Amino acid sequence: MGMMEKILPSAFARRRFLQATSALGVAGAASQTLRPIEAGAQRTSAALQTRITKNICHQCPARCGIDVYTTNGRVHAIYGSTEHPIANGKLCPKGPLGIYILYDPDRFRGPMRRTNPNKGRNEDPRFVPISWDEALDIVAKRLNDLRDRGESHRFALLYGRGWGASCAGLLGTFGKLYGSPNVPIGHSSMCSDGSIKARQALDGNAGYNAHDYRNTNYLLIFGASFLEAFRPYNYLMQMWGYIRGEKSPKTRVTAVDVHMNTTLAASDRALLIKPGTDGALALAIAHVILTEGLWERSFVGDFSDGVNRFRTGETVDPASFEEKWVRGLVEWWNIEVKDRTPQWASEVTTIPVRDIVATAREFGSTRPAMALFERGAHAHTNGILNAMAIHTLNALVGSLFAKGGMMYQMPPAYGPLPANADDYLDDYARNGPWKRHPRIDLKGHPDGYLLANNMMQEVGPNSLNGRPYKLDTVMFYQNNAVWTAPNCRQWEEAAKEWFIIDTSPFPSETAMMADLILPDHTYLERYQDAPTYPFEGWPLTQLRTPAIEPLFDTKYFGDTLIEIGKRIKGPTGEYYRKLGSAENVLRHLAAGFARAPGDNGVKDFETWKEKGVWYRKPYLWQQRNGEFYEWDGRDYTRRMSPEEVKAKLLKTPSGKFEIRSGWLEQHAAWIAEKTGRSPAKLMFPHWEEPKHPGGGDLYLVTPKVALHAEGRGANIPHVIALLQPTVGGRSEAYIEIHPRTAQERGIKNGDLVRVSSELGSIVGRVRLYEGVRPDTLVYPMENGHWAMGRWARGRLPGHSGEITVNLSDRISGQCAYYTTKVRVEKA
Amino acid sequence: MTKWGMVIDLDKCTGCQACTTACSMENTRLPGENWQDVLFYSEGSYPNVNMRWFPRPCMHCERPSCVDVCPTRATYKDPNGGFVLIDWDRCIGCKACMVACPYGVRFYTDERAVVEPDVRSVFPGEGKRQWSPPYSSPHDDPKHGVGVQPKGVVSKCTFCYHKVSKAPAGAADLDEDDPATKEYTPACVRVCPPKARYFGDLDNPKSKVNKLIADKRGVRLLDHTGNKPQVYYLSGGAGAAVPSSRSSQGRS
Repeated sequence: MGMMEKILPSAFARRRFLQATSALGVAGAASQTLRPIEAGAQRTSAALQTRITKNICHQCPARCGIDVYTTNGRVHAIYGSTEHPIANGKLCPKGPLGIYILYDPDRFRGPMRRTNPNKGRNEDPRFVPISWDEALDIVAKRLNDLRDRGESHRFALLYGRGWGASCAGLLGTFGKLYGSPNVPIGHSSMCSDGSIKARQALDGNAGYNAHDYRNTNYLLIFGASFLEAFRPYNYLMQMWGYIRGEKSPKTRVTAVDVHMNTTLAASDRALLIKPGTDGALALAIAHVILTEGLWERSFVGDFSDGVNRFRTGETVDPASFEEKWVRGLVEWWNIEVKDRTPQWASEVTTIPVRDIVATAREFGSTRPAMALFERGAHAHTNGILNAMAIHTLNALVGSLFAKGGMMYQMPPAYGPLPANADDYLDDYARNGPWKRHPRIDLKGHPDGYLLANNMMQEVGPNSLNGRPYKLDTVMFYQNNAVWTAPNCRQWEEAAKEWFIIDTSPFPSETAMMADLILPDHTYLERYQDAPTYPFEGWPLTQLRTPAIEPLFDTKYFGDTLIEIGKRIKGPTGEYYRKLGSAENVLRHLAAGFARAPGDNGVKDFETWKEKGVWYRKPYLWQQRNGEFYEWDGRDYTRRMSPEEVKAKLLKTPSGKFEIRSGWLEQHAAWIAEKTGRSPAKLMFPHWEEPKHPGGGDLYLVTPKVALHAEGRGANIPHVIALLQPTVGGRSEAYIEIHPRTAQERGIKNGDLVRVSSELGSIVGRVRLYEGVRPDTLVYPMENGHWAMGRWARGRLPGHSGEITVNLSDRISGQCAYYTTKVRVEKA
Repeated sequence: MTKWGMVIDLDKCTGCQACTTACSMENTRLPGENWQDVLFYSEGSYPNVNMRWFPRPCMHCERPSCVDVCPTRATYKDPNGGFVLIDWDRCIGCKACMVACPYGVRFYTDERAVVEPDVRSVFPGEGKRQWSPPYSSPHDDPKHGVGVQPKGVVSKCTFCYHKVSKAPAGAADLDEDDPATKEYTPACVRVCPPKARYFGDLDNPKSKVNKLIADKRGVRLLDHTGNKPQVYYLSGGAGAAVPSSRSSQGRS
């Protein structure tokens, strides 16, 4: 009997079953007993009562508006909302499968307490059901006790996919009122901070870009899996259909990755690059753009006399060039780009010179053009440098804030919360001993990651080593770090020392290590707001509305947090009584729409619920021919001063696109000390060899694929059947290996292999594939769970986290997921 | 007479499989038993590798070879709309149709599950129902092969008969972007993010599907079999193209 089978019957008390069924009536159908449905009952039911509710898909960051179809109390279909600007009636392959997440038979059915003090992969937690009051009281007592002992910093709350102001948005306030620097710690460093920090360095906006794909004529995509996983995926495919199938002229695409995937296959040019060298390719493209005079003069500036002096290997007098919206171009040329020829880059990247030159000429001579990049390019020790080199290409062709270019996302017009947290700070919150402690992950600390946003991957190891201290209690929201972290076994050891509160509805690895389970509703059962991820720039926020009453005795995380808050002693409890409930918070947020009604007429909570989305077009700014304009109510005509551009758009110290990054320069001494980078170069995009720990001879890259449903795909049977169609996996994902690489190791198609690094090894089956680099192994990051449900558990190949060394980009804090080198042999 | 047909623009298809999953949920398909599959191929050698894919529904042929071979007349051509359908109350599961179909789009699913553990043991059905997940489609119409596939029969794409057959009379196209026809549009067409799929009346000269077939040189798969599919593929957009039987209709 597997562990889950042992856990679930005990978790599924008769008492709770009756509670759940009395609340709904059909809940039993999804319950563990799985009462069969009488075929005849459906066939004869004449009147089908179908209701459509508005919700937001939960399976990736894109936040597509969905119409949820419920007939006679059962959810049976999900389609994209036609009126939703991201979904436009469409969905990606994950969207329709969301129903399965609701009816997942392995869901937790209510709050539970662990009774087995031993923790580990093979330990049955022996969860027993408890009431919500009991569960919340246990949490509150622990937190109050920590606070009484002056150890509130030893409580951490780790979150993954935060959705909006009614969940993740409440966490910072909780940390401030309660008194912990570790509430919350976000997952961004294990996501894509390399992208965010590169933009912060160059244009002063610490965020992802919004994009105007509809009007772009060229896309140069570095490791972003545009047609698999880049966000918002569904919308990107809508744009793809338009720019590749209908638009005149057709948008041309060059895509760069380490294996042939659908993005590369559908592009005009596929470049299979050596992992970690995307920056070298970008530098060579910049070299060609400059030597051949292809840069956008209206944005970048020009030589005073109009004569191009950028010649390979020769320095240029900075005084001869008049910079417009960039800073440090000529210095960059002199210190780095003059020698970064296509010939040089070809040796570093293995991409033929002719392809580098052709790509550079196309990108440099097609306007508007955009260079996109994500984790493939920057999840390496040199990641921020790669990302900066790529993003600088956007400045060279003048795409910042341009039509057909990129911009940054505007926030929604939310109303204020029912209470102001600053009015509820007690002395402990203001000056308690917690103020003396750094964050557990050493984010913002010179001994750790001074410039990072978060360092979640350090939480486990740091606590385990007691450096800077040991955590006592850790709460998780939308986060399974015990499994997803690099070198995940270290986290399992750390987790044994913690009192863990997990809020996932699903039996994740983190839940298996938990002491208390406070399960959330699934997304089709809850109210929740979600402002858009960077999309087209203009503000948009949306609302989940329950399709049905919760199937089980679960609670929305926002309410769980508020209920814990109410139980904290002193003014903190008072503050949370003022908030009342998550729904009350949402109503206050929506009150902001009265002043700024949405284009679709949404003006309050009720209309928001009805339409599912609030948005206001247009984006307010545009750069045109090197001038910035603000929307005047009818068009972009009001010319902006350099001061306004600095305040609103290019938020760097100089108010320009800083190829010489002022932000990095401010921290030059620290950067030089920690990275060994040259003090003269460290503020520029430049080439640095990535570090490849692990002790192997092959790179290991584990991309996100189209069916990767965040946190739940592994247990959805349809996802398993469709996960990796490109190499033919039907019930199992394969490790892609080049035929020559396999042959050299005596490995045949379909063999079981062992993939090892210095940390350990995993097993999986190989598929010989000409489309993968001979020096690289590729497989989708989804499998290898030791918990997560009956379909997920034990499915090959093993989890990449077991063999991925925990190494990060020291500047961005980005976890270098794709930098470990491994060995492969027949198992 | 309405003759429903589908057009799939291969230049726009991104190979994402949204058609597959939307169909799977709309028609309560077992995992991996995809009425609407996307097939992937690759050839060539590193670094110049050609990967392609091919989305494949039932072709709902004008002259369906599956109908000819069916010993019980379970498989039939519905003159009203041109659907090729299976009457599950007549089907004996002999699989002759599966052999006769040149396109490989028929499914007999009583054997081993593609994905273990078998969802049929997790969500057991009663009587002839193979399974009963809580999200089963509320549309159950065995005479037209709609609903959960029973034991012992063959199934196939119905062109979402339960939706399309209720479309407003005389509609030239069933377009998901048109509020009047959205709910009658087949799931795979409705969901398709790059809008690579179109669905309309091939007998209506004014339909968008006919315009696309004409302008973008629609071709039918394995035209030489004479099955005359009602699914057309667009690719390339160039004048030079594989000739389809449509272009030779005048001569035949």
